[in-house]
Amino acid sequence: MNATRPLPNVGMPEDPDYEEKLAQFEARIARGEKIEPGDWMPYEYRRQLIRMISQHAHSEVVGMLPEGAWITRAPTLRRKLILIAKVQDEAGHGQYLYHAAESLGVDREELIDMLLAGKAKYSSVFNYPTLTWADIGMIGWLVDGAAIKNQTMLAHCSYGPYSRAMVRICAEETFHYKQGKEMITIYAQGTPEQQRMAQDALNRWWWPALMMFGPHDTDSPNTPVLMRWGIKTKSNDTLRQEFIDEIVPEFHAIGLEIPDPELRYDEETGHWISGPIDWDEFWRVVRGNGPMNRARMAARRQAHEEGRWVREAMVAYANRQMVGDAVGVGS
Amino acid sequence: MTDTQWPRYEVFKQDKPHKPHEAVGTVHAPDPEIALQNARDVYVRRPDCYSLWVAPESAVFKMTAYELEQDPAWHVEEIPPDAPPQTYLVFTRQHHRRSMVAASHVGQVQARTPREALRRAMEQEAWTARPVYLWWIVPQAAITASQEEDVPSMFAPAQEKTYRDQSHYGGIIFGKHLQKKRQQKQKQPQEKQERSA
Repeated sequence: MNATRPLPNVGMPEDPDYEEKLAQFEARIARGEKIEPGDWMPYEYRRQLIRMISQHAHSEVVGMLPEGAWITRAPTLRRKLILIAKVQDEAGHGQYLYHAAESLGVDREELIDMLLAGKAKYSSVFNYPTLTWADIGMIGWLVDGAAIKNQTMLAHCSYGPYSRAMVRICAEETFHYKQGKEMITIYAQGTPEQQRMAQDALNRWWWPALMMFGPHDTDSPNTPVLMRWGIKTKSNDTLRQEFIDEIVPEFHAIGLEIPDPELRYDEETGHWISGPIDWDEFWRVVRGNGPMNRARMAARRQAHEEGRWVREAMVAYANRQMVGDAVGVGS
Repeated sequence: MTDTQWPRYEVFKQDKPHKPHEAVGTVHAPDPEIALQNARDVYVRRPDCYSLWVAPESAVFKMTAYELEQDPAWHVEEIPPDAPPQTYLVFTRQHHRRSMVAASHVGQVQARTPREALRRAMEQEAWTARPVYLWWIVPQAAITASQEEDVPSMFAPAQEKTYRDQSHYGGIIFGKHLQKKRQQKQKQPQEKQERSA
């Protein structure tokens, strides 16, 4: 975090009452209580939450871009209505999350400025291009399906505002997942060309979707503290395995092939075991060198600049209303 | 002037008449009128909504049970003798379940300050029969509300957008049904051949 405004300087390990307060705090989490904005929390809890929630908010906002690109090319009016509604939802989800982050003492504007300056992280999956219409269905089913796995866990988060934002998002996101599943299911049984498109989309999105759960537990330094304080309740690898176990049989059922020659079913454990994930690619994309990183940021900055006149008009209107109120106009 | 960091407004949404207004989150806006519009776009993309309130976040007095416990002198304040009483709306949260709502409207009290309003609220047995984890005190004068005539334009359109609801996609064929269908498809050409032979 390079927040320009310093965070409240409370909950530091060097504070004289830190150990006592920490014990109370951890006991509250163990009892299943929610931590609310006014409550004492370790500085590190606040910092980790701001990091996670802001990355999550940015992901929702950037996530509008790969799908938004296809609104004008939707094949039917129904699909167009669905896609517009879905992209609107992502905009709303970004707002829920920025506001959850603000409850911890950062400003939305700081967070947005960091995103536009290219200093903030967001989910790498959105740095891949949407090449065909079938990608829209595959994003809904596979990418949103992976996101829902993570978000369902985060709905149990110990921090009240984040948990509430997640419950609201999950309720809405289920539609995103279902519309994608519907689309891909239809295409997988459709014309040879539709079947080919569905398979091609799965080939390109499978690995980026598995990477969405983050690095292996052994390479995820934040996980222990996040689990200790009830921010996460499951590790990256646990969630990824649950997701694979659920979705592989579904793709098989509609006749699509998972693009992993080493994928096998382990009778003993009842798990689908995937081949190795290409973490070099993951880190390459995280560090800004994925196929679409620069295009995504350029599109965000352009949208921000082109929306400036709307923001200025709203402020001008508000100012005029205030002057009007002061001199009694229109009252 | 800042670019997007306008004042924050708390948003209270009422799903149906006779249900309580519930705190659903915040929006930024340069004035209360735009705050209501933003609240509609951010929090009412789906049914149901009958009424929305917005109030500047800075006007909302919030106390958690933990804060009250940590500061036994929380209610100590000097109230100017000429401070006029006003109406404060009271919101509480009384559970730790998964939920998308921070606090729900339970009623109102007359008081001269938010702290006095909270003291009065805590005396109401009906509101404290179960433990309260979160208290919100909102001066009624700070609230801007949607009107009944706004319902058709602001909230009713969401009713028709059934494709936003996951139940709209209930009819997808999956798993075993689909496998059967595929097997039938593969069989059919053979049967035809047999018949023609």
